[in-house]
Amino acid sequence: MLHIRPVVPEIIVFAMACVILLADLFWKRRFKGLMYGLTQATLIAASVTAYGLRDPRARVVLHGMVVQDRLSTILQIAIFALTAIVLAYSRTYIVERGVFRSEFFVLALTGVVGMCVMVSAAHFLSLYLGLELLSLSLYALIALQRDSIPATEAAMKYFVLGALSSGLLLYGLSMLYGATGSLEITRVATALAALPRHDLVATLGLVFVLSGLAFKLGVVPFHMWVPDVYEGAPTAVTLYVGAAPKIAAFALFLRLLVEGLHGLSGAWQEMLVLLAFLSMAVGNIVAIAQTNLKRMLAYSAIAHMGFVLLGLLSARVSGYADALFYALVYAFMTLGAFGIIILLSRKGFEAERLEDLRGLYQRSPWYAWMMLLFMFSMAGVPPTIGFYAKFAVIEAAVSAGFYGLAVAAVLFSVIGAFYYLRIVKLMFFDAPVDAGPLRQGRDLRWLLSLNGIAMLLTTPWAGTLIAICRSAVRGLP
Amino acid sequence: MTFESAVFYFFSAILLGSAAMVVTIRNSVKSALFLVLAFVSAACLWMLLRAEFLAIVLVLVYVGAVMVLFLFVVMMIDVNMAVLRQGFGEYLPIGGLVAVLMVVEIALAVSPRQLGPTRIAASLVHAPPLHMSNTRALGVLLYTTYVYPFEIAAVILLVAIIAAIALTMRRRPDTKYQDPARQVEVRARDRVRLVKMPTEPKA
Amino acid sequence: MTSALALYTAIPLVCLAGSLIAGFFGRILGTVWTHRIVILGIAIAFALSAVYALPRTMAGHDLDATVYLWGRAGGLPLTVGFLIDPLTALMMVVVTFVSLMVHIYTIGYMRGDPGYQRFFSYIALFTFAMLMLVMANNFLQLFFGWEGVGLVSYLLIGFWYTRESAIFASLKAFLVNRLGDFGFILGIAAIYTVFHSLDYATVFAHVDAARHARLAIIGGTSWHMLTVICILLFIGAMGKSAQMPLHVWLPDSMEGPTPISALIHAATMVTAGIFMVARMSPLFEQSPVARSVVLVVGASTAFFMALLGMVQTDIKRVIAYSTLSQLGYMTVALGASAYAAAIFHLVTHAFFKALLFLAAGSVIIALHHEQDLRKMGGLRRYMPITFAATWVGSLALAGIPPFAGFFSKDAIIDAVSYSTLPGAEYAFAAVLAGVFVTAFYTFRMLFLAFYGEPRMDAHTRHNLHESPWVVTLPLVLLAIPSVLAGMVLIRPLLFGHFFRGALYVRAADNPLTRMASHYHGVLAFIGTAFVSAPLYLALAGIATAWYLYIYRPELPARITHHLHGFYTVLRAGYGFDAVYLDGIAASARAAGRFLWRVGDVQLIDGAIVNGTARLVGRIAAWGRRLQSGYIYHYAFAIILGLFVLMTFFLHRG
Repeated sequence: MLHIRPVVPEIIVFAMACVILLADLFWKRRFKGLMYGLTQATLIAASVTAYGLRDPRARVVLHGMVVQDRLSTILQIAIFALTAIVLAYSRTYIVERGVFRSEFFVLALTGVVGMCVMVSAAHFLSLYLGLELLSLSLYALIALQRDSIPATEAAMKYFVLGALSSGLLLYGLSMLYGATGSLEITRVATALAALPRHDLVATLGLVFVLSGLAFKLGVVPFHMWVPDVYEGAPTAVTLYVGAAPKIAAFALFLRLLVEGLHGLSGAWQEMLVLLAFLSMAVGNIVAIAQTNLKRMLAYSAIAHMGFVLLGLLSARVSGYADALFYALVYAFMTLGAFGIIILLSRKGFEAERLEDLRGLYQRSPWYAWMMLLFMFSMAGVPPTIGFYAKFAVIEAAVSAGFYGLAVAAVLFSVIGAFYYLRIVKLMFFDAPVDAGPLRQGRDLRWLLSLNGIAMLLTTPWAGTLIAICRSAVRGLP
Repeated sequence: MTFESAVFYFFSAILLGSAAMVVTIRNSVKSALFLVLAFVSAACLWMLLRAEFLAIVLVLVYVGAVMVLFLFVVMMIDVNMAVLRQGFGEYLPIGGLVAVLMVVEIALAVSPRQLGPTRIAASLVHAPPLHMSNTRALGVLLYTTYVYPFEIAAVILLVAIIAAIALTMRRRPDTKYQDPARQVEVRARDRVRLVKMPTEPKA
Repeated sequence: MTSALALYTAIPLVCLAGSLIAGFFGRILGTVWTHRIVILGIAIAFALSAVYALPRTMAGHDLDATVYLWGRAGGLPLTVGFLIDPLTALMMVVVTFVSLMVHIYTIGYMRGDPGYQRFFSYIALFTFAMLMLVMANNFLQLFFGWEGVGLVSYLLIGFWYTRESAIFASLKAFLVNRLGDFGFILGIAAIYTVFHSLDYATVFAHVDAARHARLAIIGGTSWHMLTVICILLFIGAMGKSAQMPLHVWLPDSMEGPTPISALIHAATMVTAGIFMVARMSPLFEQSPVARSVVLVVGASTAFFMALLGMVQTDIKRVIAYSTLSQLGYMTVALGASAYAAAIFHLVTHAFFKALLFLAAGSVIIALHHEQDLRKMGGLRRYMPITFAATWVGSLALAGIPPFAGFFSKDAIIDAVSYSTLPGAEYAFAAVLAGVFVTAFYTFRMLFLAFYGEPRMDAHTRHNLHESPWVVTLPLVLLAIPSVLAGMVLIRPLLFGHFFRGALYVRAADNPLTRMASHYHGVLAFIGTAFVSAPLYLALAGIATAWYLYIYRPELPARITHHLHGFYTVLRAGYGFDAVYLDGIAASARAAGRFLWRVGDVQLIDGAIVNGTARLVGRIAAWGRRLQSGYIYHYAFAIILGLFVLMTFFLHRG
């Protein structure tokens, strides 16, 4: 008897993706918003199911392929929620750009399936396949706007480099198989514990695995695709790429490095120190030179991923919780920032240059304040939740003894504050250049406002949120 | 040196040589043909490991289907390799240096001393001798232990199909095509219009 | 969460909710609904405090519980929690009662002010912060409330932000308080170093173990740790409760609207320091040195600030200096280990001082915001209720039996006489002399304002009338406890078992147990007053005031002329302001200007900031060029990264 209960959410999402594909064939002309509605309903149903099936004990099912624990449940629900918000933000945008087709929703949903597989993987094989499923969906989504040359170019770059990084990851996994004789994450962990500390084969596998993972997370020096993809893809897709997949990639780090390769933690801690430092440095510094808002946010994403690593490299459970919290907070911040870009764009106008934000305060004070909250939160200005997240990961690094890195993190976040505050300056103190109307669409406006206010009002409950993250990673070594 | 290892080194040499040719040769058709050769040698290596199903699948799928398709594409779109290779010499020294260094490092790590047969033997769980054919054993595993990854792989294929269609199929407004359904559903009165006209007055 | 904890949590939260509603939706709600909602919130808080918290704690059900864990910093949990014992419950009742009175009074006082809703939002926020302060069960929340009330006080002193003097006063109050807060937070930090906890319960439980802890100072000397902690905490109290020499902000704070003077700068916020020291009694009891400091500072404040009250011409300033002096009395009681007497005086003082301020406010409204005593006079005919209220307040302040102030002040003087600490004799002399001065300036104010010939201009005099009921109702409601509170409360608070474990006094030092042996009921207590000095000193003060301002009103000018030097010193407030403003602040500003010109503009801005910015900009441009757009560059970066990782970590042993 197969225990398929833990994968029911994945099955629901994929089945509905097929239903949408078929429904498109028959009812496309009759019901315009049908695909959108079905997709949102699917995501809601899946998150309700995932919540209903939650189980405080970790269970490994399907011949050691899938693990269901609090981490997987929480991350799956987060992925469903983030994707639902992404779709709500982008609805009117994709209608205008002729991408409001069933393929968009189907690919979005299959990407979600891939992410769910990743976060609940207990086996190298399912982990890798989930990753490929996600990547394939992303490549196609980016290229979906066929007539756009930048989008095609971005998809191509992402595809080629993604294939390269998948190769690295696979090579690393095969090395680990050679060193430990298993692909099952728990067995790999036990086998590693028996090996000498500086086992060359295992370390080689680790280096390759880490490089592959770092690419997916977009960490320097494996980050070069990030700015091009963020800029080239249609903003709606950028939104999708920038939010939930980061969470899933972060989950890979937890599953592979922490659960599987904890025996090599000494080695990967130092590697992550290097990557985190470079990411924070390159991300924050190069972002200053950008004139394109989406590109700037791409570099900010690189920098933020460096901060996520800061929590991870402490190699302690509390640090993992902090990193998880940071990744989740970041996902919502970035949703908001890109949501504002979508709000300002209209048919034939992308609102992706920094100048396009000029004088937003005079055009719409409310959304200028919202953007201010997103920027403050990204910069880590105190009353916002972003401050708390930053504080938590830096504290994690300090408590693990990485004082130099913590100091560097603070310095780089100061440098980073410059370009976030520049946006605030542009919005509030400059005269508007663009005077077009803001996008209508009640779902976008309400959600965006909610998203912005949440940056501020969740701070008093930060303790509770961190406690949830802590309970999610409690089972990790 | 046993006979087996002699065969192994023979095919490995061909594999490496043809792989090198794939990336260095100027003519893209020849390059594709060298890739075919590489696949075949790899299949032979697998045969040596008694993985006959994999070996046959490799030849059937990659050589028989993928590469033929690939050759078609290469011939159809006429890639100008000279343009693609611009700057090759410029990047060769540094690229080559890094490549050589990496190969050395990897070789040191996975040298027989590190990853020799004894270690593999020690770390692998000893499988009981098979009483069935390789193909059948694979099938049994695929549909029991590995059913979940197998299904995900199927999903990946489906996504690939969807993506390929979504990215390439476009309905141009000026293309003319027939719709069989509409052809079947057609009725006489849609096509022939009976017009009642007054008869002509007699002259 | 138990129902008790939920109800206690609700008390500050209704105030906060009122504040937020008034602040964010005040403009939509309009003035009437704003004050209705806010007052409803405060009334609920008062009702819960009076009919739930107080009886419950008196029945012996204390509560010490954590409501919420906000976060962790290192090993330090940052929590919100409540400690509700008799001391807290009493403070809650006083705070919410006075606050409720002031809220009602504000409807009349602030009518027509453009910042009406903002004002309500602030005072409700103040009540919230004050409740958080008194209800805290840990030092962090105490500090939160401490800073919260400081902030609201700043906002309210500068409420009329178009007035230059209001801005100056608010800034001054804030800065001087910061000075005290600095000591306070150092004290909290010291507590954390010694006890590794910020929970009251944990700290108090381990006081004995820490009794001999010492703080190493450079050069082999070391100080008694608990003394250092107590003095640092007391510096915080000096700022908030305006003890010399950090008192300078309180008289200036009278720039704020009068309800604020009553609520914040007389009845509640300024007593936070007193409350805090009483709360920390287990710590202070371990350090005679610190208590001696408290005693001397309090006594000096009590006497010297009272002297200043004699020469003020602004009616609110007279009351402000009297507040300073009365706070000094409370501090003296703390120093003499008579914590209960300090809290007793705090309670009675809250009532009669709020009453006096609100009465003064009533006068000020009637005179169209004229505060100068020299332009008043004869008001008793026009404003009978205000006049009667002022009489009650003055008698209470002067310490005439059976009014409330008499009992608490007498108890303090009595307690000081039992103290054996260094400086106790000085303190006793100071508080005794203070009684005369207090009675004198109080009645000077009363006589100048309500008796004699009207000195205001004719137009104002024709329009003089009693204030509306929203103003007089709080006066009446405050007058009642100003008369009765002393008689009713003296037995339970001083000699009964009201506080139980909330206040800790080492048995040997307890002056109240010694006093209790002489206590035989209220009437007997009044009776003994007739055979002791303070009552006669007070009566003498009143008589002197009557003689100088009613019987021979031309005399004060002549006395002033003869004692010109002394008068000038008093008018200048002993020169504290001059030293602070022209000495410390001016030299700080000069140093600041120098550092700005040389350090900031040239070194930091020129070399470091702009230099760094240029450098960062250059690196950024370079980094941007690396992002060439070619896939093979990107791929090479990946391979290079892999190579570096491999080289670093693979072959190093």
